Amino acid sequence: MIGYISRRILFALVLVFAVSSASMVLARLAPGDYVTATLGAGARREQIDAERARLGLNRSFGAQYRDWLAGAVRFDFGRSMQYDRPVTDLIPESALNTGILAITALVVATLIGLPLGVVTGTRPNGVVPSAIRGVSLVLLSMPPLLTSLLLVFLAARSGWLPVGGMTSSGGGGLADVLRHMVVPVAALALPLAAMFERLQSQAMSETIGQPYVIATYGRGVPLSRVIWRDALKNALRPVASVYGLVVGTLLSGSFAVETVTAWPGIGQLMLGALRARDVYLVAGCAAAGSIFLALGTLLSDVALAWVDPRSTG
Amino acid sequence: MGQLLTRQLRSIRFVVAALSLALAGCRAAPSSNKGSNARELLVSVRTEPRNFTRLGAREEATDLVALLLHAGLVRINRTTDEVEPWLAESWSVSADERQFTIKLRPNLQFSDGHALTADDVVFSFEASYAVNDTMKVGGKPLAVKAVDEATVIVTFPQPFAPGMRLLDNLVILPRHKLESALKNGTLAKAWGVSTPPSDLVGAGPFVLASYQPGQRLVFDRNPRYWRRDARGEVLPYLDRLTLDVIPDENTQLLRMQSGETDATGSALPAESYASLKQGATAGKIRLYDLGAGLYPDMLWFNLKPGAFAGDPRASWIQRDELRQAISLAVDRKTFLDTVFLGAGVPMFGPVSPANKRWHWAGTPETPHDPERARQLLASIGITPSNPARFTIVTMKGRPSFERAVTVIRDELKKIGVTVDTAALEGNALIQEILVVRKYDAAYFNFSLSDTDPAMSPDFWTSAGSEHIWNPEQKTPAAPWEARIDELYRQQVGAVQDHERKRLFNEIQKIFVEHQPIVYFAAPRVFVASSMRVGNAAPSVVPPRLLWSPDTLTIAAPTEK
Repeated sequence: MIGYISRRILFALVLVFAVSSASMVLARLAPGDYVTATLGAGARREQIDAERARLGLNRSFGAQYRDWLAGAVRFDFGRSMQYDRPVTDLIPESALNTGILAITALVVATLIGLPLGVVTGTRPNGVVPSAIRGVSLVLLSMPPLLTSLLLVFLAARSGWLPVGGMTSSGGGGLADVLRHMVVPVAALALPLAAMFERLQSQAMSETIGQPYVIATYGRGVPLSRVIWRDALKNALRPVASVYGLVVGTLLSGSFAVETVTAWPGIGQLMLGALRARDVYLVAGCAAAGSIFLALGTLLSDVALAWVDPRSTG
Repeated sequence: MGQLLTRQLRSIRFVVAALSLALAGCRAAPSSNKGSNARELLVSVRTEPRNFTRLGAREEATDLVALLLHAGLVRINRTTDEVEPWLAESWSVSADERQFTIKLRPNLQFSDGHALTADDVVFSFEASYAVNDTMKVGGKPLAVKAVDEATVIVTFPQPFAPGMRLLDNLVILPRHKLESALKNGTLAKAWGVSTPPSDLVGAGPFVLASYQPGQRLVFDRNPRYWRRDARGEVLPYLDRLTLDVIPDENTQLLRMQSGETDATGSALPAESYASLKQGATAGKIRLYDLGAGLYPDMLWFNLKPGAFAGDPRASWIQRDELRQAISLAVDRKTFLDTVFLGAGVPMFGPVSPANKRWHWAGTPETPHDPERARQLLASIGITPSNPARFTIVTMKGRPSFERAVTVIRDELKKIGVTVDTAALEGNALIQEILVVRKYDAAYFNFSLSDTDPAMSPDFWTSAGSEHIWNPEQKTPAAPWEARIDELYRQQVGAVQDHERKRLFNEIQKIFVEHQPIVYFAAPRVFVASSMRVGNAAPSVVPPRLLWSPDTLTIAAPTEK
C-alpha cells in the first residue's frame, strides 16, 4: 500500500510540474502581454519597451522560463504583475475559497446523489424513482455554466439569495458566507449529484441481485441492513473510482461558476490573470489547480484501495 | 423492501422540507448591504485598478480609483464640459496666454493631515513627466514654479488653446510620500496595488479603507476633504463607497436589478436595455438615456506604407476609394438596427454629434449607394473578374463588434467584396494592431481623453501613437496627412474659439474626404442606478455616473 501511495505521489508531482509549465508556456506564447493589456492600443513604442524592460518581459522566453522554473522548485512562482505581489501570497486565499466551494459541492453532491442512487437502484419502478432519474438526466446534460446562469437568474428574480460574491459589503460572518455559497455550490453540486445518482443506481441494481445479497437477506438480516451495509459497500466502487475525475470536473466547472457568481476563487483569479496576461499568476493558478487535481486523484485512489484492495496491484 | 423504501422517501422528504425552510429563512433575511446605517454606495466594476496614482496606467478602473482618491487643480464638469476650479481657487493668465498664475485654496490638506501646498503641485508635474507624456505640449514639458505656499506659475512652452483644461489630467500627489520613489526612479511602481491602504495619501473625497484583490475595494470618506456644498455642508455625502469586482457583465446587471448593487462602473450594452427598461417601469431602478455616445466604434485599414509589399492587393487595399466605397455600401440604418438594436445615431465623420462643441455641422451625409460604391471599386481595378478580399480583425467577447463586422461583411458581399472576419481576444488584437501591424483592417473602439481635439494630438496628428491607421509616422505619409498636421498645429495655438472651430471643421472635412477611419453609427449610452442613488448627473463621458462622487447621495438603508 505504501509503495502504491508513493507511486501516486510521484505521479502527482509530475502532474503539477507539467500543468504549471504548460500554462506558463502557453500564456507566454499567446499574442500580447501584460504591457499591451495595461497600456492599451494608444501607447507609444518606447513606453511599451520601457515597461517591458521594467517587468523583465523583454528577456528571451527561455531565460524567463529558466528563472521561473528555478523559483518554482522552491515554491516561488514569481511576482504577479497585475497585483504587484508574490504569486504565492495570492494563491492561498483564492485556493481556500475554491476549496471551500469544491468540497462543499462534493459533500452536498455525495449526500444527495448516493442516497438517491440507492433509491433508484433498488426500486426500478415507481413514480418517485422515475422522477429522480428524469431530473438526473436533465441535470447531467446541463454544463455548470448553464446551471449557474440559471440559478443566478432565479436568485435575482426571487430575491431569495445573493446573486454573486462571497460576502456582502460590510457583512461577513459565517451566515453571510453560507448564503452567498448556495448558488455556486448548487451550480456545481447538482450536475455532480445527478452523476453520482446514475452511477450509484447502476451499481446498486447490479449488486442487489448478487447471490450473497439474496443469501444474507434469506438468513433473516433486515433489508435495510442488507442494502445500506452489505450491498452499498460493494456498490460504492464505481463512485469511488470516479472521485478523482470528479475533482477535475469540479475545478473546470468552478472556473465557469466562479466567473458567473463572482466567487473569489482560483478560477476567477486565473481568468483575470489570463485576461491581463499575468503569466506568472496564470502558472501559479494552474499549479494550484493541478495540486487540487492531484490530491483529489490521490484521495480517490486511496478510497478505491480501501473499497477494493485489488486495485492497488 | 417496500416499507424500507417508504422510510427512505420519508427521509428525503424531510431533507427537502428542511432545505425549503432554510431557503425561506434566507428570504426573510436581508439580502445584501441593508442593515448598516452607513451611507454606502455599492458599485460593481468589471476590472481592477492597475495602480493607485494613475501615473503608470490609464484605463477605466484606474481612472475611477484615482478620481476617488485624488484631486486636481481643475476639474472638467462632465455635464457642461467646462473647466471648474478645484484645488485651484482661481487663476490669471498672461497677455500671451502662455503663463498661468494659479492660487490654491487656503488650508488644503492631504488625507493624512499634511498640508497641500504649491510644492506638491510642482512635485506632481515632476512625477508626471518622469512617467508619461500626458502633461506635455508639443512634446515639451510645462515650466512650473512655486511662488509661495499657495501660488504656482505654470508656463506653457507654446500657445495652447485649451490652457487650464490640460491640468484636468494631473492629480496632485504628496511630495512627502512619493519624493523618494521619484528620486530612486521607482515612481511607476510606487503605489502599486499591493500598497497597504494606510500608506496611500490623497486629496480626493475618499480614502482607501481596504482592498481584497479580485473581490472589492472599500473607500471611506476623507474627513479632510476640502469641498463643501452650497449650504456649507462638508462633502462627500457618502460615508463609504464600495467597488465590487464582478467580471461578468450579466451578473453585474442582475446584481443591480436585484438590489445588491447601486450602479455599474461602465455603460450598459444595448442588449440589456429591454430588461432594464422593465426594471425602470417597475420602479426598481433608474434608467438614464444619455443620448449618442462620444466615441463610436470604427473601421480602419492598415495604411502603414509598405504593409502590403509583395501582396497582389497592394494596388487597392490602401486606396481612399476602397474606404469610400465601403462607406457607401453599408446601409447605416441596417447597421444601427442590427448592431445597436436601433439605439444610436448614424455617423458620417470622426466627431460624434454628441460632442456639440466640436462636431462639424456641415459633415456630408454619405448615402447608401451600392451602385456608386461599385463604380468606385471599378476605378481601382476591383471588378467581378478581379474581386477584392480582405480580413477584418475585431475583439472577441464584444457582441456589438461581432455583429458589426457581420453586417459589414454582408453589405460588402452585395458589391462583390469578400470579407473574412477574425475575432481575437482583446490583448491579441492590440498586439496585432500595435506591435505586429500586419492586419488588413480592424474594427474596434478608442476613447479619447477629452472632448477638446487639442487634447488628443496622438490621435489627430501623423506622429501620434493613437493615429491608429498609421501611428508614429516620422514624416506624414500623405499630403492630406501633412495638411491635417498643419491645421492641427494652428488650431491648438489659436486663441479665438471661432478660429479654432473653423480650423477643426477643415480637419474634419479632410478626414471625411479621405476616410482613414470609416464610421457607421454611435450607440446611445445608457446608465442605470438603484432608486437609492440621489443627486446623480450622469454624463456620456466615463465614469458616467461617478464623475462627481462627492455629491452623490444615497437613501438611508431600509430593512426589508
